[in-house]
Amino acid sequence: MIATAASNRRRQRIFLIAGAILAAYALLAPLTSLDAAQSANVPLLADKFWFQIATNIAMFIVMATAWNIIGGITGYAAFGNVAFFGIGAYTTGMLIAKAKWPFLLALPLAPVVAAAFAALVGLPLLRLRGHYFAVASLGVGVAVGELVQNIDYAGQPVFGGASGLFLPIFRIDNRGLFFFYLMSAAAALSIAVTWWMLRSRLGYGLIAIRENEEAASVLGVNTTAYKVAAFALAAALTGLAGGIFSQWNVFVNQDNVFPITYNIQMILMALLGGTGTVFGPATGAVLLYLLIQFLGGTLPISFDLPFVSSDARPIVAQVILGLLLVVVVIFVPRGVIDFFGGRTRLSVAYLRRSLRETSL
Amino acid sequence: MANFVQLVILGLLAGGIYVAVGVGFGLVWGVLNIVNLAHGALVIIGGYITWQLFTALHLDPFLTLPVDAVALFVLGYALQRGVINRIIRAPLLFTFLLTFGLNLVLVNILLLIFGSDFRSVTPAYAGKGFEFGSIVIPYVPLISLGAAILLSAGLAFLLNRTRIGLAINAIAADRDAAQLVGIDLRHAYAVTYGLGAACAGVAGGLIALIQAITPTAGEPYTLQAFVVVILGGLGRVSATVVGGLAFGLVEVFAQSIPGSGSVFANAIAFGLLVLVLVTRPQGLMGRLR
Repeated sequence: MIATAASNRRRQRIFLIAGAILAAYALLAPLTSLDAAQSANVPLLADKFWFQIATNIAMFIVMATAWNIIGGITGYAAFGNVAFFGIGAYTTGMLIAKAKWPFLLALPLAPVVAAAFAALVGLPLLRLRGHYFAVASLGVGVAVGELVQNIDYAGQPVFGGASGLFLPIFRIDNRGLFFFYLMSAAAALSIAVTWWMLRSRLGYGLIAIRENEEAASVLGVNTTAYKVAAFALAAALTGLAGGIFSQWNVFVNQDNVFPITYNIQMILMALLGGTGTVFGPATGAVLLYLLIQFLGGTLPISFDLPFVSSDARPIVAQVILGLLLVVVVIFVPRGVIDFFGGRTRLSVAYLRRSLRETSL
Repeated sequence: MANFVQLVILGLLAGGIYVAVGVGFGLVWGVLNIVNLAHGALVIIGGYITWQLFTALHLDPFLTLPVDAVALFVLGYALQRGVINRIIRAPLLFTFLLTFGLNLVLVNILLLIFGSDFRSVTPAYAGKGFEFGSIVIPYVPLISLGAAILLSAGLAFLLNRTRIGLAINAIAADRDAAQLVGIDLRHAYAVTYGLGAACAGVAGGLIALIQAITPTAGEPYTLQAFVVVILGGLGRVSATVVGGLAFGLVEVFAQSIPGSGSVFANAIAFGLLVLVLVTRPQGLMGRLR
């Protein structure tokens, strides 16, 4: 037993070091594309296309980690977090496109508005539990997107309507790099917030709510305030990612900032990595995003699926994704962080135990 | 006034589809405690079976409904027995994600088989109806409503009067006690999901009659089934029938609002949902449990 614990600790250290090296590479490689580095003949360590992928991954790290605050730590299965992403994107987008604010002034308002909205709808919604909360939050996600697209005032669409919002391009050298680091900073912030929460009074209160809400309430946790705080915090982080996205993408409409699929993807990422942990959702975001893009054939490195024509490729990719989802949920319910964190080893016995724990 | 009567009639007729979509969803949710995100995929499989039989064999679409029910029952039974039973004791998030994964697989397999073209089922009597002065009652929705009511009555009979139905009720009341008295849980769970899928299949057959279908056309119906079941109240077939009809009425009246009423259909439906959940969580017809 002692030997296992020691070897687990060793593996945990190996994974930690490997993860740190990988993160350092991802953060530093883009710098080699700067003009200064190029003129000094530093080899280009990453194709520019990778920056875009890395920025997207950072965006999903924010969303998955933020979802983890309400879904993983508090245990409320929020299915409408994409609403906060969209609200953040539209807040920044409207301030820049209509009110002509500079981007860096408009960005801080995205998390503020998203958090305010979350607190407002959270007060009634967080009284619901289980499936009811999940469905109601899903409804909010759908309804907000529809309202934003369709609200008219005096015959004019207020938020750009179906054609969306076009933002002026943010003038800065190395735009791609700028947004990559900005999104990475948001990802780091969301992970830091989770790390802090799990050590704070707020975090302990939320875990108590997840484990037994009545007991938490009896022990003196103000459950309503705690839950709303967690919801608003998750919304603020998601809204921040939305705000950055709007200026990065320059174009905002219902389809690109309120996609229902993001709801599922962020949950799946958190679940794949491990809910309730600090690094789990981020790990899941990296793995799942790369996997989805790889199957869809949109990564610079690609492969051919046997027996599949190029037309059917995206559809087959979706089938594989669905099957993977089923397998993960059945066999790896606590997420891959269990293996990386050195808590357990991937083995047939582990898979069989997961299966037995939940099956009828 | 005539306009109002017409809207009420159209609303009730539109509700027929929602009743059919809702009863299977409500059964699975109430008994198995699964919010079945694959429901829309099952619905649309039923739609494709009806379309296939109608175009290939020229069967009357309403006569294909039993075929939908039997085929989907078999599929549903196999899915529950082989896959969903494996995580039935996991937290709700897992059942959510598992059924979402199944939905993804089913919808994309349909895309591989049928492509994304719109398919419609148009029997000779489509688009015709009774006329009483200025009030029109179209045939297809009328027969659909009848079929949906019949389906619900059949399901209620099965649940309350047959041996397997009583077993399902016993499971819904107390799973452990049901197991103690000798009910085969794996089989009974699979039958329950199969029945839910069969209802979805019938609903799909009806939907193919009122709109052109694509493999992804079922997804909105999953959300609407949610709303219908919550609106009526979880746990009884009759409550879902009321919920479905009420939802049809709300939808038709919302769409009749001049200006942009129709584009807010989802927002109104979900606004209603949140309102019901917050003020009357047991539903219009529900009892607190």
